[in-house]
Parts: sequence; structure tokens; C-alpha cells
Amino acid sequence: MDGAFRKIDVDQYDEDVLHESELYDADPRSPAEVLDDVRQRQGAVRSLLAKNDISGALSVILENAPYGPNVDDAKNLNLQTLLTVLNTTKSTDITNIIKTLSPDAQDTLMKYLYKGMGLPGWGDISGSVLLGWHEKLTEVAGVGCIVRTMTDRRTV
Amino acid sequence: MVSISFFIQFLLNNIYIQSNVLRPYLAAVRSTLTAALTLENFGSQVVERHNKPEVEVATSKEVLLNPLTISRNENERVLIEPSVNSIRLSIKIKQADEIERILCNKFTRFMMQRAESFIVLRRKPVPGYDISFLITNTHSETMLKHKIVDFIIQFMEEVDKEISEMKLSLNARARIVAESYLTAVSVQSLKTISCV
Amino acid sequence: MILLESHNYIIQTTILEKLQKPGSLDVVFVDFDNVRFHLSTPQKKTLLVLSMNIRCWDELVQYGALDVLKREYGSLVAGYVEPEYNVSLEIDLEQAPTDAESREAFATSLSLLKRNALAAPFELGFTTQKQLENSSGQGDLMQIHYRDEEAMYIQAAPDRVTVIFSTVFQEETDRIFGKVFLQEFVDARRQPSIQNAPQVLYSSRDPPLEIRHVPGLRNSEDIGYVTFVLFPRHFGNPSVASATISHIQLFRDYLHYHIKCSKAYMHSRMRHRVSEFQKVLNRAKTEVATTERKTASGRTMVSR
Repeated sequence: MDGAFRKIDVDQYDEDVLHESELYDADPRSPAEVLDDVRQRQGAVRSLLAKNDISGALSVILENAPYGPNVDDAKNLNLQTLLTVLNTTKSTDITNIIKTLSPDAQDTLMKYLYKGMGLPGWGDISGSVLLGWHEKLTEVAGVGCIVRTMTDRRTV
Repeated sequence: MVSISFFIQFLLNNIYIQSNVLRPYLAAVRSTLTAALTLENFGSQVVERHNKPEVEVATSKEVLLNPLTISRNENERVLIEPSVNSIRLSIKIKQADEIERILCNKFTRFMMQRAESFIVLRRKPVPGYDISFLITNTHSETMLKHKIVDFIIQFMEEVDKEISEMKLSLNARARIVAESYLTAVSVQSLKTISCV
Repeated sequence: MILLESHNYIIQTTILEKLQKPGSLDVVFVDFDNVRFHLSTPQKKTLLVLSMNIRCWDELVQYGALDVLKREYGSLVAGYVEPEYNVSLEIDLEQAPTDAESREAFATSLSLLKRNALAAPFELGFTTQKQLENSSGQGDLMQIHYRDEEAMYIQAAPDRVTVIFSTVFQEETDRIFGKVFLQEFVDARRQPSIQNAPQVLYSSRDPPLEIRHVPGLRNSEDIGYVTFVLFPRHFGNPSVASATISHIQLFRDYLHYHIKCSKAYMHSRMRHRVSEFQKVLNRAKTEVATTERKTASGRTMVSR
């Protein structure tokens, strides 16, 4: 006797079932627009870095960061841009720079730090840089910042 | 013997230095774990009269939070998977060579076989990690939260130390064993030379 | 106890005891490498029979073990062999030496039965080397399969005698620990005090050149080959030669004994460390108030 019907996931036909898209509001922009936006910001960040305005550069990256499905390219590009900024910052300046960021930007920065540490391949950044930033950010923004990273469904 | 004690001294210094290097890593684990350990009693939404760690059964998405990874490098990682009533913390312990790998494997297995007395320990590690802990709301209600965090941090500190000490003692023993055997053989050959 | 002794303690003490006070007995006991002994008094209290079963007996006889035993024990070697055993000695306690010192020596020499049997191929190797000294060529490769999967190979050359052990590590931990130990054997010779020791070579997996042609060698991860190169200075004079034989033939047991010891040590360490962790975790537990609660009528409340 064919028992395949026993393997059917009946829960997916439940009318109350929760879909991924209901957990958070989707980004209104299309993936291509998001990628374009990130590219433009990459240029802006470069010019700000040239002027040595690190906190300005960080604000640009962290504002309106790409989130949600289908924008993996934009996410990775933004992460790369951010990592170069983090890498070039002197460890003594970190605390002051973090203080200039808005609370929302701090939360987004925390998300990126965890994302950076979770990457399987390491690229060109060492773990101690991210850990250093993490430590300082926790000092300034508190544990609540980590909780918001955990609970926010808009993963970067 | 003198050289061995020097060697041990050198390694102990190394461990001390290492713990300073380790500090930001452990601090990150500590703050993340503290943030994640906000658990409450939560019955299953799918099966009536079930109350299980949601991070393990994973039946309702809305109570699972974003998993976070903290890593020092490719070989030293901690994965924290939070949910509404339980968190799962998995550790990948540093293993530089074959000896450390086998010692680490032995040690974690030894601990996991005693999981019933380590109530927060999981019997099996999550794939890709060496040892996992499962902390549920029952644990956080019967135990002090900051002390649980202390336990995890102390475990992480000492497990590295223990493995490198075990490796040292193995090397020291091997050296003494080899030397005494070869000395026993060569002392006689010296006698031959004097006889001849 | 770092070094292993080559005599059998049970034989030594039992013989000494029976020399003092003869009595009937029947004991079966074992030694390294699955060697079995049987010590009994089948006919009368003063006539002890000591029998030995050793896996590689046929090979040993081929290399002159019987001659060695006859030389060591003379008329004690019995004309018959107990069933299931390879060789028997008949010890008449009434003809044993009487003064304490020679009794001691007598018992010790009996307790070296296994060592003497295994010494035959070594002695043959040493004499072959002497004969070859003025000529060229190699002696025959002697194989002694003293365990099911492990063997010892001895070959004489004009200037040296090579002894090769093959040893199997049953599990991965043994293999890795064994590697550490054997590496130390190779390295330890650099120390000036033991430079006279025989040269030790170690290879895992691939058998050394001398025995590569031998059929049936395993070529897996869990096998290791240890080569000792003995020069005439290690066996030039008879007393040194006998000491060298005693040490070298116990090498495999020595190595595995210490691997086991390390594992036992690791285990006790881990036990200690885990109990420390347990204490740390117990500190996290909150004290539950354990005051006895009673109802008005005096019954104790029990929480379930």
C-alpha cells in the first residue's frame, strides 16, 4: 500500500499558518534597486574615508541597510564595505565613533558584527577586529542591543 | 628534567598570555549569552499539552530567534540559538593537531556521558561543533542566571587549558619513557666498551 | 615502575615458596603476549612441572630455542610435553640447591623461561653477524609471529643486527599516543648521555625496506614499524648481549604498557576536571528552602 500520503505536511494547508513574509514588513524596493543603492553608497563611503570621516562613513553604510530575501548580493557588498571601514579604524577611536552613531545605526552595526563572525570563510578580516568592536559596542549600547539583534527579523 | 620543567613553565606563561588574548572572545560570549538567557515557560502551539524546548523541536517559527555566531577564528566558534523557552549553545574547541583533536574528543565525550549530572549539557553536539549546552526556562528558574553564564565561561576557559596540559603531560611522559628505556640499553653498552 | 622486568614474578615466588615448603599445587597463569604457563605437581609434592605455551613456538624451535633451553636448564627440560603446551620443565625440589643464595638464583633462572625461549633468534642473529663479519651478504630474515597480528623480524648483516617490530594500535587514541611515544624514542637519542643506545627508526603504515618483500604485511593506518639497529657494542660481550636481549624483546609490551598508563592518567585527570566543573555548576543552583511544613493537625506536607 502506498504510504506517501502520510508524509504530507498537512500543517502547511492550515489557514492560520505563519509565513516567513508575515514576520516583518518587506522592503518596498526591488532587489536591483537595493543593489544599485548599495553601490552608490560604497562610492560615498570611499570619499568619506578619504576625508577620514569614519563615523560619517559608518552612518551611510548602516542607514537603510538591505534586508529580507533575494538581496544576498547587496547584503554581501554592504558587509564588505563595512568590514573595510572597521578594519581601517584605530582601536582607540572605536568608542568615540560608536557614541556618535544613532541607536538604530548601533543596532544595525551589531547585526553586521554577528554576520561577519558567522561567515564560514573569513576573507581579509581577523576575528579580533570584530570582537574588539563587539566589546566596545556592548559597552556603549548595552545588552539590549544584542537582544534587538536576536529578535529583529529583518536580518542583514 | 630541567629542560622539561622549563618547557612547562614556558607553556604556562603561554596559557596566561593566551587568556588575555582570549578575553574579548569570552566577553562577547558572556554578553551574548546574558542577552539570550531571557526565557519563559512556553507550551507548544502545535501539540496540546506539550511543553518542549522550542529550539529543539522547531515547530513554530515565530518563537525561534536569530542564531548568533561568535568566533575568534575558523576553529574557535560559539553558536547561540535562542528561542522563547530555551537556548542552545554550541562550542567548537580549538584543535591544533591530531593529539589535541583526540584529547578534545575524549574530554567532551567523557563530559557528555555524564550529561544527567550536568543538567544543562546536551548529550550530543550540534553538527560542526564539539559540545552543546541546552538551557531551558526550568534551568533559568532553578538556577542563578549569572552563575550559569559563569559556568559556561569557566568551562570555555579551562577546557583549552586542560587540553594543552594533557598534551604536555603526554609529551613529558613519552620523553621520560623513551629516555629510561634507551638509557637502560646504553648503560650496558658503555660497560662493554670499558670491558673491551 | 618505569621499566618492565623480564622475569615472571609468579614463577619466581611460587618456586621459592615451594622450595621452603613443598606442597601440591596446580596453577595456570599468563604473561605478556598471551604466553600461558601451567605449574603443577601431577605425581608427588616434590616434583613440580612447569609448562609453557607460546604462540610462536614452532618458529622459535626453528631458530634454536630448544638448544638455548637445554643450555639454560640442562636436564630439567622434560622428555615429554604436557598437552596444549609447547614445552615442559620438570623440577625435582629434592635435588634443588640448598643454600639461600643459589636457591634465589635457581628460582630466578626458572622464571626467565619465556625470556630464554624468545632469546634464541637474537642469539642466532648475533652469531650470524660474527660469521658474516669477514664476508659480505646478509643473514636470513627471521620472523617471529609472537602475537596474532604483530611480529618481530631479526636480520643479521656484516656490521649490525636489525630488529624490526610491527605493532598494531587497536584504536585511534592508541595510534596517536603511540606516535608521540615513538617520536620521542627517535628524538631521545640526540641526548649525549644515551648516544650509545641502539638507533631507533620509526615508520607508520609503510614497512621498512628490510621486510617489504615479506608477504601478508598489512598496509593500514593502525600499524607501526619500529626498527632497532644493534651494533656489536650492544652484544659484544655475553652479559651485555643478554641484557640487550631482555630489553629489546620487551619493547612492544613496554610501549603499549605506557600507552595504557597515559590513557589511565588522562582518565583520572578528566574525572577530576569534570568534578570541578560540576562544583561550578552546582554553585549556580539556588538553595531551596527545606523547612518542614506541617498542617494544623500535625501532618507533614510533602511536595510532589
